[in-house]
Order: sequence, then C-alpha cells, then structure tokens
Amino acid sequence: MVEKNYGNPELENKLRDRNYYVTDSNKDFSAEVKKLSGTISHMCYQCGTCTGSCPSAPRSSYRIRVFMRRAILGLEEEALSDPDLWLCTTCYSCSDRCPRDILPTDVIMAMRNLAFKTGHAVPKNFLQTVQLIYKTGHGVPNNDANRAVRERLGLPRDPPTTHTYPEYIPGIQKIIDHYNLKAEADRILSEE
Amino acid sequence: MATHMEHSYAFFLGCIAPNRYPGCEASAIKTSAKLGIELLPLKGASCCPAPGAFGSIDLNVWYAMAARNLCLAEEMGKDIALICNGCYKSIWEVNHKLKHNDELRDGVNEVLAEIDMQYKGTINVWHLAELYYDDKICGVKKVADSVTRPLTGTKVAVHYGCHLMKPQKDRHFGDTENPMWLEELVGALGAEPVQYRNKMQCCGAGGGVRGYDLLHALDITNEKLINIKEAGADALTEVCPFCQLQFDRGQVEIAQNFGKKYNLPILHFNELLGLAQGMTPAELAIDLHAVDCTSFLEKIQ
Ligand code: SF4
Ligand code: SF4
Repeated sequence: MVEKNYGNPELENKLRDRNYYVTDSNKDFSAEVKKLSGTISHMCYQCGTCTGSCPSAPRSSYRIRVFMRRAILGLEEEALSDPDLWLCTTCYSCSDRCPRDILPTDVIMAMRNLAFKTGHAVPKNFLQTVQLIYKTGHGVPNNDANRAVRERLGLPRDPPTTHTYPEYIPGIQKIIDHYNLKAEADRILSEE
Repeated sequence: MATHMEHSYAFFLGCIAPNRYPGCEASAIKTSAKLGIELLPLKGASCCPAPGAFGSIDLNVWYAMAARNLCLAEEMGKDIALICNGCYKSIWEVNHKLKHNDELRDGVNEVLAEIDMQYKGTINVWHLAELYYDDKICGVKKVADSVTRPLTGTKVAVHYGCHLMKPQKDRHFGDTENPMWLEELVGALGAEPVQYRNKMQCCGAGGGVRGYDLLHALDITNEKLINIKEAGADALTEVCPFCQLQFDRGQVEIAQNFGKKYNLPILHFNELLGLAQGMTPAELAIDLHAVDCTSFLEKIQ
C-alpha cells in the first residue's frame, strides 16, 4: 500500500514517459470510467482549463488534464497506479469551468473506485474511514472531552445519531457488507 | 420543544459538528428557533457518509448509505436541513441523483430492502444557510431583525466552500465565480463583509486529501489565509464544519509545519449569527476552537 510513494523509480519513469503506446490502451477502461462517472469524458479536447483552475496543480505534479487524457485513451495502469490520483480535493472548480461541460472531478472519483476494485494501492485513511463508519456509524466519532462540552451546552452527551441509537448500526453494517467493503478494507490494512 | 413553528425540518448533523464543534449544533438549533425554523432530531442518522474518503472507495455504497439517512427523514415526513457542505454533497446530491435516475434508485432499493427500508424520493434537502437567505422561509431582513448585538465595526471574510454550490450545472445557486449571497447575510448581522483574492478557492481538506497528504492540504489553506489576511479580515465565516476544522486546527498545523501564524478566528455562520443574537461565547463553546477568538469577541463587546 502507498504512503504517497514517489520514491519508486520504475513507476516514476513510467509516469514521466508521455509517449503513447497503443498496447497500453484498454477501451473497457474508458467505457467503465464513463459509466461510473456519468460524465462525457470522451468530449475532452485537452484545452487545460481544468488544470488551470486546480488548487492542487501549482503545488504538486498532479495534472487533471493528464488524467482526462488517460481516460480517453484507456491508459488504465498509468491512471490507477499514479499516486497523484489521490491529490484531487474534489473542489469542482475544473468542472465549473470546463468548456466541454465535462465533470473531470467525477472522472477522478470513478478512477479511484476502479483503483480500489482492481487492487491498486489505496491510501490508508480512506479505508480507515470505512472501518470507523462500520463500527460507530460516524467517520468522526464522539469522544469524552467533547461529551463534557456538549453537556455544558445543554445538548445530550451523545448526538441523536447512531451514537444514541446503536440499534441502527447493524443495518449500516448490512449495507456495507452487501458490497463486502469492510472485509476488503480489513484485509488490505492488515497486509501492511 | 414546541412543535408549532412555521417551518420544521429533520436536522441532519453529520460528524464534525456534533463530535468536534458542538457549538455549531447548539447555535443552529437556537438561532433557527428565533427565525421560526424548528430543527428536529433525525434519530439514528449516521455519517453522510464522507463524500471524499468514502465515495472514493465505492460510490455504490456511498449512494446506499446516504439513501438510508434520507429514508429516516422520509419516515418522519420532513425535509432535511443541514449545516455542512460535505453533508450537503452526500445527502442533497444522492437525493437528487436517486430522484432522477431509475437504474440507480432500483439498485439502492434492492440493498435497502435487506434492512426493510425503501427510498421513495418524497423529501427535499436544504442547507440551513440557503433557508435563511430564502424569502419564502426566512430572508435577509428577518435575519437582520433577529440581531440584538450587531457585529458593527468588524470585518468578516466569507468562505463558501465547494460542495454547496459546485458543480454549478447540477445545483441551483447560480454564479460560482463571485457569489455574494452569504456576504448579504453577514452584512445583515452588522459586520462588514470583505472581499479577497481567489475567494472561491477550496480550503484544501476535501477529497480525502487532508488525511492523505496533510502538508499538501495545508499549503492550499495557507494560500487562502494569506489572501484573507491581506484583505484585513478580523474573522472568517463559513458554512461547513469540515472547512472550519481545516482553517481552525489547520492554523495550528501551519504554525508547526510552516512557521507561520495568522491568529484568524474561524466561525461557522451559525456561531456568528448566535453571537449577533446575543448568545455568549460559552453558549457556543468558542473555547473549543483551536484559534483564540478573543480579538474578535472584544471588538463586538
Ligand atoms: S477543461 Fe474540459 S475539455 Fe479542457 S482539458 Fe479539462 S476536461 Fe478537457
Ligand atoms: S476538483 Fe480536483 S482536479 Fe478539479 S480543480 Fe478541484 S482539485 Fe483540481
């Protein structure tokens, strides 16, 4: 699993190589990205407005336009193994400005889903959120210091969510188990 | 609590507000009551779930989990009101998608059937701030009329955040390059809203980036803080507890990692409204904030 590992020379060289090799293309990947994202990624004409709008671009090697190119050309491995995939803050600035009415943000979300599905490295914190929600219903659960403050404010010590009504948690677990998500997160995190 | 208020909603809390900044929750309930808006507990709600961290892993589970929260409100027969842009992204957007996409709705209902629930598409979802701005529900004038301690003499910058208004084509807020409606609400409290460079830039925390690469996220936050300070703001207000966490705790982390100090008080719009309606800092648990708000509080005494 990555840590944001740019220290892998082989991967770095591969990602630096901007030549296009027909054999790297997987048409199914383009189709899957399009379906999962629900946006018209094939309409991209590579103008770069998205990268120009991106708060992550000036401070990293992350380029949303490059990921759009990968979506069109079906460059699955390049897209899913690139650690930059996880630097999108999902701010949707690119999506609001794209002259082709594409939602590049949703292309990134689709690629992240596919990275998880195909066993590519996924950042730990994403999987830990799954575990926390499975256990408590909350991605950010309550704690004792906060309970004391809530009481002081005249609020119940725990909010009227799954924290007060844990009888709702089994239902949540059923939903997550339906997709086998918790088991997968556990497995990947234990392989650390 | 009285049930005779004109407008009542199921109050979807999310995680960060109740579990990290309970002042946001307390002030939302009290300030809304003064505006004729009643917020009822949505029993058994969960995390929205987090659109970045959770949605990045599996969108289908994100749809189903958000749909479960929507079902709870459908069973109450109430629209949802909420105070967090991240929650808005999950709850509003999934509601919108399920209403308009039969294939998606059928898939979600297949899963929900396992826990004896069904998504029907009978309610709407609102951010409390948009309800305040809406003349049919409340309106800027009513907000102004509720003020008992005007924030006169303070300059307040606004952070809209991303997931309330963007993507523009799927939302109903109009312009996302330079919106001014939150400034109108800030002005109604007696404060002077200030404009700053690149106002619509993200806080940096979203999409799981805060957890994935903290320094990268903080660097985006830092750019915003520079621009806000340059405009001479006494405080920043926002409508998202997750942005609040990034700007508030983020300032401590920025001091540790970049050696820069801004001492910019960060207040959720409901906290700001609470102050203007006469709530005390103790009633808002302002002391829980990482950045000391004394400088701002002294200005409004
Ligand atoms: S702005 Fe739109 S058309 Fe231009 S490169 Fe980005 S995705 Fe493609
Ligand atoms: S949504 Fe992601 S790719 Fe688009 S501008 Fe924001 S950070 Fe960049």
